[in-house]
Amino acid sequence: MQPAMAQASLVEEFTAAAIQAVATVQVIDRSSAALCSAILQTVGDASRILYAPPQELPASLFSEFAADPRVQANATPDEMINSAAGVTEAFAAVASTGSVCIDVSFERTGIVSLMAPLQVVVVAAETIVPQPRDLFRADVLDGRGLKRDFVFVTGPSATADMGPLVRGVHGPHKLHIIALR
Amino acid sequence: MASMVNPADINPRQVANKSDKKALLDAIRMTLSVQSPAVRRNTQTFNRNRYAATALLPDYNELKDRARQIKENAIANLPELLQQLEASVRANGGHFYLAKTAADADQYIRDVLLRHEAKLVVKGKSITSEEIKLNHALEAAGITVAETDLAEFILQVADEQPSHIIAPALHYSRERITALFKRKFTTDLPLDTGEELTKFAREKLRQQFIAADAGISGANLIAADSGSLMLVESEGNIRMTMTLPPLHIALAGIEKVVPSRTDFGTFIELLPRSGTGQPLTSYVSILHPPLKAPPFAAPGKATKPREFHLVLIDNGRNRMREDPILQEALYCIRCSACMNCCANFETVGGHAFGGETYSGGIGGSWEAGTGTLMNARFSELCTGCSRCVTQCPVRIGIPWLNENLRQRMNFGHPESGVKSAFGAMTGSAPEDRVAPLQKQFFANYHVMAGEAARFPTMANAVTRLPLVRGLMESVVGLDRRRKLPPFPRKTWQQLYGDQLPGDRARAAKSSADVLMFADVFTNYGSPERGMAAMRVMREVGVNVELSPSLPDGRAAISQGMIATAREQANALAKTLLPYLEKGTVVCVLEPSVLAMFRSDYEHLLDAATWEKFTRASFQEPLQLVLSIGKDQGLDLSQIFPVSKSPQGTRIFYHSHCQQRSCDAAWQTVEILRSCGFDVVTSSVECCGMAGSFGYKREYYELSMAVGEDLFAQVRAAEQQGGPRTLVASGTSCHEQLWAGMGREVMHPVELLVSTLG
Repeated sequence: MQPAMAQASLVEEFTAAAIQAVATVQVIDRSSAALCSAILQTVGDASRILYAPPQELPASLFSEFAADPRVQANATPDEMINSAAGVTEAFAAVASTGSVCIDVSFERTGIVSLMAPLQVVVVAAETIVPQPRDLFRADVLDGRGLKRDFVFVTGPSATADMGPLVRGVHGPHKLHIIALR
Repeated sequence: MASMVNPADINPRQVANKSDKKALLDAIRMTLSVQSPAVRRNTQTFNRNRYAATALLPDYNELKDRARQIKENAIANLPELLQQLEASVRANGGHFYLAKTAADADQYIRDVLLRHEAKLVVKGKSITSEEIKLNHALEAAGITVAETDLAEFILQVADEQPSHIIAPALHYSRERITALFKRKFTTDLPLDTGEELTKFAREKLRQQFIAADAGISGANLIAADSGSLMLVESEGNIRMTMTLPPLHIALAGIEKVVPSRTDFGTFIELLPRSGTGQPLTSYVSILHPPLKAPPFAAPGKATKPREFHLVLIDNGRNRMREDPILQEALYCIRCSACMNCCANFETVGGHAFGGETYSGGIGGSWEAGTGTLMNARFSELCTGCSRCVTQCPVRIGIPWLNENLRQRMNFGHPESGVKSAFGAMTGSAPEDRVAPLQKQFFANYHVMAGEAARFPTMANAVTRLPLVRGLMESVVGLDRRRKLPPFPRKTWQQLYGDQLPGDRARAAKSSADVLMFADVFTNYGSPERGMAAMRVMREVGVNVELSPSLPDGRAAISQGMIATAREQANALAKTLLPYLEKGTVVCVLEPSVLAMFRSDYEHLLDAATWEKFTRASFQEPLQLVLSIGKDQGLDLSQIFPVSKSPQGTRIFYHSHCQQRSCDAAWQTVEILRSCGFDVVTSSVECCGMAGSFGYKREYYELSMAVGEDLFAQVRAAEQQGGPRTLVASGTSCHEQLWAGMGREVMHPVELLVSTLG
């Protein structure tokens, strides 16, 4: 298979698996305007949006979104507790499971990706790998999975402890993934 | 025997420690009466999901091999790995503490918290913290502990021990949680749905996450090379516990250490799939704390720098490591597959099939290893069905561990003249004669059956007498409610000798292609079935000879009488070896005996003899028929024309647990279907009889409760189109179906013979 075709089939597999895990997925063009409109459409009328600026993707991609007055990159603890949505990047994603991998070692990415009921994650399509185990290989994504502190996020938080399966427990109730072509 | 207490009033905590047998029996009554529906639903959901999720892994078996290899190496090199890990954690800027005992660990954690003046601690799920009774130790020091995993939250409110290793409150139905919360909390909320209950708990716990001074988590795996932790969860509470407070303490047993973070790649594929049956759970964190990101400072609180402590506990694990048997339990990655595929566990859960902390098939080894041997008494509920062996991601031979625990418990019984005399008379190995009469009785079934076979009419008349059944119940614990299958007039050996002189002569002259093994269960209990198996062989052109009938050791090993099993296995091997050396295929009708030859004998024979067994071919009859049919291009539907069967075409087929573990069950279904039978198969893991288990008076109710799943499947299959002929492949399954459905059960070979007119 050609690399481009292989990548396209990984995006397809990733999308199907993420939906299976009850996330929503959107594949868009890589532009500041497209990203801004995709995120704002997802968060709807949220009055405060937590945002952890990216380390991998260029910050310029987020510039239009970050200019929205509701976006908080330096939220106070009180604001963090009371926000409707949190936006971060993912440095990788997994096709077989529909997971996104969020680096939690810098700034407040861990908290931003955890405390708000709606989680929005932006990931570059070329960082989708076939299986979870690939994150533990030195020859995949420059071995980034072997060095970082990160979380495989697969769907919203959930529990079956209260009887039936309930989505939305301590973590986000909804997960929306924006994959960049 | 039955105590007078209403089973619904028995508190799980009171029966957690089962060193007293009465606690085990009370716990079974309590769980059957209160918890069974929720336990069944939840474990069976995990079970179905695991089969589906592992089937999607193309290299599932290779992954299991690799996982096993990693754990074997890790446990072998544990002292070096622990040194390496300590250096890694310190290099990361964390603290490392290796606690010798539970009390050491409790004291260290308490001291760290007191030094930080911590008032409130949030906790992620940690079964290891249950093992060391950490909450109790912290609360005694005035520290408030908030369990944040919703299952642990329920248990904290109810003051109960975990009943399952990954879903510790799985014995609670939604309705019982509603009742519990309404009793314990003052609230106007209705709490009548899972959503409302979750919202109620979330709001309570969110305040505690924000206010917490410290977080305590467990760890699923720890990498020595980098001090990395892997933590698997779905609620997000573990992430909160590790991310929000400035102080993080991770607690784990020393067996969780693997050499390298690259090893996580194997376990991340296996652990969630083997547990909940999800490809991945919502969150799998890979961290080497302390986190570099700043901690969360609650409104009005000062920001503190992050601090991390890794507390590893020995608490008996090094002793397990030195123990040639219990060592294997240290490979356990605590996924729960062995519980979810266990018919007894599915019926009663870990409050009966479990101790103060650990439960299920693997739980006995853990309770014995971290506590005392008698804490493992609940491992009596392991029937050795072997379903877990095929489902364990690190291939732990759980029945063998439990058979050894049983042996050690047998050895703890006082000697008595009666037991010695009974043992000598019935053929127990000298060291096993200390075992209780009940165990020696069931272990030496073949001796009793051999005696009865000499006077079957009298034996049948006598064993029907209520007085005799009463005596059998009080002396050897054979439940009087179990109908005993009658002893046949002649044994398999006798029928074979009577009816087939020509065949015998032929077989003796030209050495037979196949040796049919005359297992004692069929020989004394169902000789016609044995003859039918040989007839089926001949119909597909196989020259078959019958072996002598010798005990194989299955009955003895299941009673923990390993020395007796070893004697029997070695005597039997002497008889079989000439055939195996000639390359003769050995056909085994009884699946529990097939499993002995294929796997259990590894533990009972010397290495050289076992090696010969591994190279030999042991086949279930229909497995053999299918491969012969394929090799020779036979049309089995011509040989066994379904139209001639007086049974009709409608069949309900239940395969035997060990038959499935030997991968020798699907062949029967394929043959019956290709012959034109309309086959509905059961999907239960085990019928619940499991050899002697269902005959024992203390387990009769449990055995019948397990069987109820199977009986319900028969009834469901018969809802449309009327009755089906019951067909099963194991002696025990026949007896259980016969008891539950009240009608005759056929073996597949008998069904095939019925088509021959």
